[in-house]
Amino acid sequence: MPRLAGLLFILASAVFSIAALSYAFAPDPGRLPEPQNASEQNLAIVVNVSNPISNLSMSELRKIFLGERSHWPNGRRITLVMMEAGQPERAVVLRDICQMNETDFNNHFLHGVFTGEVLVSPKTLATPVGVRKFIFNVPGAIGYLRVSDLDSTVSVVRIDERGPEDKGYKLHVPPRSPK
Amino acid sequence: MKYTIDSCFRVTSLAKLAGPLNPIRAFLLLLGILLSAPFLRAQKIDDASVPDKQTLQLLLQRIDQLEARVRQLEAEKHPAAVATPSPVPAQMSAPPATEGEQQQAETAEPERMDVSKTLLRMRGFGDITFHGDSQKGDTNSFSLGQLNLFITSDISEKFKFLSEIVFEGGPDNIFGATRGENNTFGVDIERMVLQYSHSDFFKLAVGRYHTAIGYYNTAYHHSTWFQTTTGRPFLFQFEDRGGILPIHTVGASASGLIPSGHLGLHYVAEVGNGRASRDPITEEPVQNVVDDQNHKAFNLALFARPDAVRGLQVGFSAYHDLLAPMNSPRIGESIFAAHAVLIRSNYEWLNEALVVRHSPDGTPRVFNTPGFYTQVSKQFGSYRPYFRYQYVNASNTEPIFPDVGLRHGPSFGIRYDASETVAVKLQYDYTALRAQPGVSALALQVGFTF
Repeated sequence: MPRLAGLLFILASAVFSIAALSYAFAPDPGRLPEPQNASEQNLAIVVNVSNPISNLSMSELRKIFLGERSHWPNGRRITLVMMEAGQPERAVVLRDICQMNETDFNNHFLHGVFTGEVLVSPKTLATPVGVRKFIFNVPGAIGYLRVSDLDSTVSVVRIDERGPEDKGYKLHVPPRSPK
Repeated sequence: MKYTIDSCFRVTSLAKLAGPLNPIRAFLLLLGILLSAPFLRAQKIDDASVPDKQTLQLLLQRIDQLEARVRQLEAEKHPAAVATPSPVPAQMSAPPATEGEQQQAETAEPERMDVSKTLLRMRGFGDITFHGDSQKGDTNSFSLGQLNLFITSDISEKFKFLSEIVFEGGPDNIFGATRGENNTFGVDIERMVLQYSHSDFFKLAVGRYHTAIGYYNTAYHHSTWFQTTTGRPFLFQFEDRGGILPIHTVGASASGLIPSGHLGLHYVAEVGNGRASRDPITEEPVQNVVDDQNHKAFNLALFARPDAVRGLQVGFSAYHDLLAPMNSPRIGESIFAAHAVLIRSNYEWLNEALVVRHSPDGTPRVFNTPGFYTQVSKQFGSYRPYFRYQYVNASNTEPIFPDVGLRHGPSFGIRYDASETVAVKLQYDYTALRAQPGVSALALQVGFTF
């Protein structure tokens, strides 16, 4: 037992030291966006124009954005398009649809791919233009865009029977910060 | 000749109207008009019959300017379209006005057929542990854990390849019997699966996979980094680490959703070689290449993930095989497992119970080995303290694993996520044994992914 107690003390000291050092130098974890305000825009969920889906429930949308649904009803594989970490649009999707923070979302997909339950990780794109082009080119793609970034190359999906122009729509994104 | 130049201006204006989003389209329109210019010019030549070299020069200069403008527009657009590397092979191009769905669908194919590019994606996992225990003869040691190369490939829209290649140190421990030497490393292909995904309702996998017995075995594979604790519960320990379950199966597995609305029912149906049953017991326990008999092992699992309680999964599984140890009667093996787990971002509660039932042919006796574990943890920032209690009770006369016996006890520890990819865990275990003194053990582990 003395040997074990000594070992316990050494290990505990080591863990405490590592933890203390890491805490001191740890960067602030990713935070969710600021609370909504009146100047916010709505965030539209968009799919390829050939996709017959026009409405999804929030629950279905969540399953799609977490990779728990991998195929559209027409058999086409779902390809999820996400914007890069740090973009307000992505933060809204993580908060309001996935209900996860950045770390949990990444771990969720890593674990899902590891178990084989998730077929592919999300495609990450830098800009709304990139998202729009990708969704135009990939029939099974789904992503999100500010209403001001929409054009006719993508199709907007209603959520719980509400479109981005409707009252009571749930996805709002803060205005872009001026460059 | 002014007429032709004006046409070019009009085209440029049209291109501007089309907007900066579509430079290629504008360029094509421009090119079309420019190609028609000689005909227009020919009409003028007929009228005037004298070539105007100065105007030609002006026209060529204007073409150069317009081409430069198109290049500039494309250059302005290009950085915006740059994307981060993605596992999904897909071509990015500006939306052509007349492109149809069929053409769109083909965009992902060329990369798959490009032999100069690899389709492999690799992720690594590893762990290193310093541990000691109160058992006589054991020493405090630093141990290299499994080095796990997790490789996947998105072969096509419907097919995916997945494998885990694991390097680990010996010796192996099969139901208490050791195999191999200390400190020597071996390589195992722990998983090698080709998955066909027809829809959410039907997916088929063939190869070597983790048997869908209970929850833990398919939720956590060969990586400690994913796991809250330093290791798997004893019930789900690997075959070559003293485990009592057929953790791996070589065969085929069908899985998918069962249309059940908000209940979220899923099924898994498996058929495979089952575990090796012939003596000596230290032979490879997973029948990777040759089955020792024609009989196949079957497993059926059902579980629900109800929408109403996010993170909840409840289910059960039934496994059956027929073992044929040498010089003894055949033994029917049935494993019934049930689980209820609740996993959320900052909280987990795992509960599993199972019974392994061995019934030798020609005797009325049945050997039941029950076991369970419960594990709970809660995240506080980067720290996650946890507790686990586990229990397994095998008869001393159990025909397949007589060395397992009774073992039960608590484990508690703390996991600290030093970064997004590195976890440090400190764990204490106490294991009570039948007719032997209990064993206390302590382990400090660093697990990581790279």
